[in-house]
Amino acid sequence: MARFLAARLLHTVLILFGVSVVAFGLIHMIPGNPLDILLPPEAPKSLVDHLRAEFGFDRPLYVQYLAWLGRVFRGNLGTSIFTGREVTRELLRALGNTLVIAVPAAVLAFGLGTTLGTVAAFNYGKPLDKLISVLVILGLSVPHYWLGIVLVIVFAVEWNVLPAAGMGGSGGLPTSWHDLSFLVLPVATLSMIPIGVIGRMVRSTVLEILGNDFPTALRAKGLRSRHVVFHVLKNAAPPTVAVMGLQLGYLLGGSILVETVFNWPGSGQLMDLAIFRRDVPVLQGTVLVLAAFFVLINLVVDIVQALIDPRMRR
Amino acid sequence: MTRTTLPRIIAAALLLSFAASVPAFAQTLRIAMTAADIPTTSGIPNNGGEGYRFLGFPAFDGLVNWDFTHPNEIAGLTPGLATAWKIDPSDHTRWIFTLRQGVKFTDGTPVTADAIIWNLQRLYDEKSPQFDPAGSAIVRSFVNMLDHWQKVDDRTVAIYTKYPFSFFPYMVPNILIVSPTEWQKSGRSWTEFARHPAGTGPFQISKVVLGQFAELTRNANYWDKTRIPKLAKMIVIPMPEATTRLAALRSGEVDWIEVPPPDAIPSLKAAGFQISLWPYPHVWPYMFKMTDGSPFKDERVRQALNYAIDRDAIVKFLNGTAKPAYGLYPPGNPYFGTPELRYGYDPAKAKALLKEAGYGPDHPVEAKIMISTAGSGQMLPEPMNEIIQQEVKPIGFDLHFDVVEWGTMLVAKRNGPDSPAGHGDDALNNSLGFADPASMFRYFSKASWSPNGINWGHFYDPKVDALLTQAQDSFDPTQQTKLLAEAHGRIVDDAPWLFVVHDLNPRALSPKVKGFVPAQSWYQDFTHVTVE
Amino acid sequence: MADIAAVQRIAAPEVAEGIAPRGYWRTVAGRVRRDRLTVTAGAILLAIVLLAIFAPWAATHDPLQGDILHRLEPVGTPGHLLGTDETGRDIWSRLVYGGRLSLFCGLSPVLLATIIGGVLGLLAGMGGRLLNSLIMRICDVFYAFPSVLLAIAICGVIGAGIANTILSLTVVFIPPLVRVTESLTRQVRSRDFVEAARASAAPLHAIIRHQILPNVLGGMLVYATSLVGISIILSAGLSFLGLGVTPPAAEWGLMLNALRQAILVEHTMAALPGVAIVITSLCFNLLSDGLRSAMDVKLPS
Repeated sequence: MARFLAARLLHTVLILFGVSVVAFGLIHMIPGNPLDILLPPEAPKSLVDHLRAEFGFDRPLYVQYLAWLGRVFRGNLGTSIFTGREVTRELLRALGNTLVIAVPAAVLAFGLGTTLGTVAAFNYGKPLDKLISVLVILGLSVPHYWLGIVLVIVFAVEWNVLPAAGMGGSGGLPTSWHDLSFLVLPVATLSMIPIGVIGRMVRSTVLEILGNDFPTALRAKGLRSRHVVFHVLKNAAPPTVAVMGLQLGYLLGGSILVETVFNWPGSGQLMDLAIFRRDVPVLQGTVLVLAAFFVLINLVVDIVQALIDPRMRR
Repeated sequence: MTRTTLPRIIAAALLLSFAASVPAFAQTLRIAMTAADIPTTSGIPNNGGEGYRFLGFPAFDGLVNWDFTHPNEIAGLTPGLATAWKIDPSDHTRWIFTLRQGVKFTDGTPVTADAIIWNLQRLYDEKSPQFDPAGSAIVRSFVNMLDHWQKVDDRTVAIYTKYPFSFFPYMVPNILIVSPTEWQKSGRSWTEFARHPAGTGPFQISKVVLGQFAELTRNANYWDKTRIPKLAKMIVIPMPEATTRLAALRSGEVDWIEVPPPDAIPSLKAAGFQISLWPYPHVWPYMFKMTDGSPFKDERVRQALNYAIDRDAIVKFLNGTAKPAYGLYPPGNPYFGTPELRYGYDPAKAKALLKEAGYGPDHPVEAKIMISTAGSGQMLPEPMNEIIQQEVKPIGFDLHFDVVEWGTMLVAKRNGPDSPAGHGDDALNNSLGFADPASMFRYFSKASWSPNGINWGHFYDPKVDALLTQAQDSFDPTQQTKLLAEAHGRIVDDAPWLFVVHDLNPRALSPKVKGFVPAQSWYQDFTHVTVE
Repeated sequence: MADIAAVQRIAAPEVAEGIAPRGYWRTVAGRVRRDRLTVTAGAILLAIVLLAIFAPWAATHDPLQGDILHRLEPVGTPGHLLGTDETGRDIWSRLVYGGRLSLFCGLSPVLLATIIGGVLGLLAGMGGRLLNSLIMRICDVFYAFPSVLLAIAICGVIGAGIANTILSLTVVFIPPLVRVTESLTRQVRSRDFVEAARASAAPLHAIIRHQILPNVLGGMLVYATSLVGISIILSAGLSFLGLGVTPPAAEWGLMLNALRQAILVEHTMAALPGVAIVITSLCFNLLSDGLRSAMDVKLPS
């Protein structure tokens, strides 16, 4: 077990290094640099060149990479070229805002997905199963950003029961019904894909457990006894939790489209802005942190799974 | 009536009348901007026009301000923190500004000549402790001709330009003045200062919630008593998605949105919202590339394209939120001049010109145009360009689009037309402004050839160059106008651009918003607005 | 990753010892045929594909030419049954032609990634520890990026356009496909019949062709088809952000973006491209699921 842990940790560190190289390289391949956006186009080239030297963009790429890496190790993710604010602070704020919708979305996905998947599996072959299967897959098939727009039209514009955009000025955790109302639509939109993934996964896992552990005879007697349900859920929990962990990673990194539609000031929007404005420090820092999150969640999931099921240890 | 009742009645009446004359104060205006992020609040906002519009001029003054009180002309200049300015007759690079006395920043400290100098150092003196690279970059891009300054006495400051530049006062509003004391108290950090800035404007930036909104509060001690705001608060919210802005307005979440989607205009009007439209110095053109290899090197091709588009159809598509453009300036403007060619939709003329240039129905003009997906002032680039593409195809133009991100277009514009950043495209579709008379020099003179300026396509007409340089050297307003008008007339005929439309600054307001009179400017005055 | 694990559970244990019997695939085909939902999904998909292929005959107007005076006409307008878009083009025709581009942008990345990822995965699975580590670690690095983020970043770098969209989506899909293939390959490789074949000194390419490949393809197929739905949505998302297909091309994602503003004015008609995406993606997902159920012989049919 210890060997496995050590191997995985080493592996993770290597991955993170690789991620930093890719993040750095990719961002520097984007044509243009932030000065072109920061400076109004009337700026004479001499001014641009002068500022380029000041920000250090004229040094060779590997020098910039090492300098950046050195700062990252000291906990300094740099300063935004556009706003002058520290990247670490901006990122923490934005990530916090994304978590405000990502965590409820994950919880909703877990709860609803598991319930739907289990019910479908227990009714395998019957119309209820087919209905739930289609619904769950529907969640995976709809462009969620588009559905978000539709929801805004229905609930905000036409019926005027929910707000159309933004966080409502709360700047953090919701503290009132008013604040909560701003969460409803973004969370619903964001949770669509995870509900689909978890629902589908739970259904197939439960089916397999039922197939493995309950021979046909018992099945013929009916599967509603509490024993059976409890046993099933207990066995289906580990892989489901694993998938949910991964979905949380996806929610953190992939919320950009939803945040665009709902004007939600989260990490997705931060990244979108950074790409748009070629704000290299922000982009590098955000991509690195988000990917690192994902890698770390992966690591935790793998360890948990290995603890439970020794076969998973590679 | 007893002896005490009458005084009581009079007192009550006085009290009531006093109450009635005090403006209603529960007044907050919530505005949704097209900016993707809150512009910086350190006194020199980023994010271009919207930055200065919402977090620049409402909260800060320059030595010279824009004049919003003459809506029937392009906004001119009016005294700001300087009551008067003049050119030194013996030295045409020296401008003398007489400072307004008795003005205080919102932190209570006085506006002195030293404070003005301090602000200039912030933007131009790299060695000063208060030097702000980001702010400097923004201001110096426009006001690059500012060379050095001199405190003449406590009431007078002189500013020197690098060369005689008669339009210099038009550049001065960009230099907004902030309180040095507040910066010192903010630990000498601009980022800290930006959280509670102190300026001299009609509003004060009172709260910034990053990523969400910025709040401005009424400054009751503003020095211009005619512009003390009627509003108690103004809240600006970044909302780059047009659909989101629209939904926010319709659901009552905001009271005012910038740039509503033109398609929504009829339904907004039907629902009782107000649509504000007013001309301002904006134009939406193609900037032609005039170097070898470009089909637009031939003047006849450029002119033909100007005859080949149906501007009215585009205006109709935009639901009236724009008007046709026939030059950089609109006809009727004193600078329009008397060009020989009057553009309009004339397919026959266009075809004739093309034929002259050697093209025909079996040999159309092939051109690649760089267009952006969005951007400041770009209006709706994709559908508008598709309309143009459809309109000119039967006439003999085969236009292809190189669709890029706004950032990529800015990079291309800053570099030469034949540089790799230009992707080999033959024209750039980029909206531009002409708020100050030096605009034509920036767009059409040889000195402004990219990468040293934004004459991207390398247009050059020696006669135009001469006229524009003369205008900048002349300190006589009548002479200036005459020269500029002559230059513009020639420019229209030379057709360095495809002149398409002028945007009409559309905004949608809730019926509760009253008192807004738009100025012909990229900036606006919010001090007379009220919300019921 | 657990969905990859699910695929492994299906493909590996269920395959019988020895050369994959043709009987297995016949069984699978039979089970599919009896699953009405999957068959329906397949039929709808076939209809959509046929419409796309025969677009020039199915469409009523030129999808690229429009009459600006008749823009945003609602559903049911005579001559334009599904209305016109923001520059006056017929929506039905654009939907039909759009199917071509959308399906192409949806299927090609998955196809390319399956081939490339499959080869890499096979190599990693069959090769020694060094080769395996090299390939898998590089994949892990790319796998560390959330897919949306990676696609946007790549397109942001190399620019918009059909080719670039396909390229960036291919890059996004290669890592998971490599993982699936590698995992399946290693599982199959350790099976007795493969050991037997190697012990009998059969040439490597023959082993791969007769022993490994038939047992790996099934799982790969299931996983790949489940990616098509995502691919269609991602490519539409890229167009939505302005990074994908360029105007005036007819493509569902681009139409969704262009009609986004019209949706507040003309609800039904502006929602149509979204409906097209949903139906196509749904059918692919149902097909993939049906295939997976059919291949899992332990489940009663």
